[in-house]
Amino acid sequence: MVVYSFYIFDRHTECIYSKSWLPPPSASSADTLPHPQSSHPHHPPTSTQPLPPTAKQSSDNAKLIFGTVFSLRNMVRKLGGLDDAFISYRTAQYKLHYYETASNLRFVMLTDVATLSMRNVLHQIYINLWVEYVVKNPLSPVEHKGGDGVRNELFELGLDQFVRGLM
Amino acid sequence: MTVFALIIINKAGGLIYNRTFYEGGLNNLTTNDYLVLAGTFHGVHAITARLNPVPIPGANRNSASSAGTMTRPETPSGLEVLESENFRLQCFTTLTGIKFLLFTDTTQTNVDLTMRRVYEMYTDYVMKNPFYQLEMPVRCDMFERKLLSYIREINNR
Repeated sequence: MVVYSFYIFDRHTECIYSKSWLPPPSASSADTLPHPQSSHPHHPPTSTQPLPPTAKQSSDNAKLIFGTVFSLRNMVRKLGGLDDAFISYRTAQYKLHYYETASNLRFVMLTDVATLSMRNVLHQIYINLWVEYVVKNPLSPVEHKGGDGVRNELFELGLDQFVRGLM
Repeated sequence: MTVFALIIINKAGGLIYNRTFYEGGLNNLTTNDYLVLAGTFHGVHAITARLNPVPIPGANRNSASSAGTMTRPETPSGLEVLESENFRLQCFTTLTGIKFLLFTDTTQTNVDLTMRRVYEMYTDYVMKNPFYQLEMPVRCDMFERKLLSYIREINNR
């Protein structure tokens, strides 16, 4: 299995943490994102697009992901009742896993399509990493505005090790 | 094994068919709610196709050498299967952009086959109906009858 990226959203819908395990984008991967608009064959998208995804690009991606999971979660709750929970969705290219805590903290993980349910994995990340290294950190603020207190060394290291252990 | 409901969304995101086969599987929604749901899903489907993190093989090569073989690069597909605790949603998008949404219980197997059969029925009894107007709500007696009997057969298995 392959893990592509991981996001945490707080209860104010803000993306407070994001990490990508994708290999550094080559020319071929950089031009797939703006693909729907780039219909001009005379201008190959590689020449107009900077190679590494910019901070703006990845923050736009996080916003799109939040919008998607938020809409799908509301849709699922409407159809399946208030006790129902959105778990995952799959397209032909990737699979998105979702886990929401009681305090509306949302964990999202993008993996390849062959991966089975990652709900317990996201739950483990919440219990063993988030609670241990972010919540129990006395220097960490209560609200993580702009990602304050999340990007500490122990959390990042633990997360990276945990996810690489899965792959 | 239960098929809860079928929804058909046209290429503009409008709801053109919705039928519930099994009471108690999903919440009862008003027609208005279904219309909103169809529109929302249409938008989310477009976003999920754009979120694709993996490069698609061939997409780049084709734009670089348009003089070579004129094969269309494979476009990223949108949402295909959605899982929740209480149900499973399978989405099938036709080449013309019509979406078939099949809601089943979480243990349902072979949904692909069911979906294929439903699509066949749609082509046979809706598209071949001379009185059917494209993009408009599906009101075809024959389609309704065949669909109901097919789904009933699955649900009673």
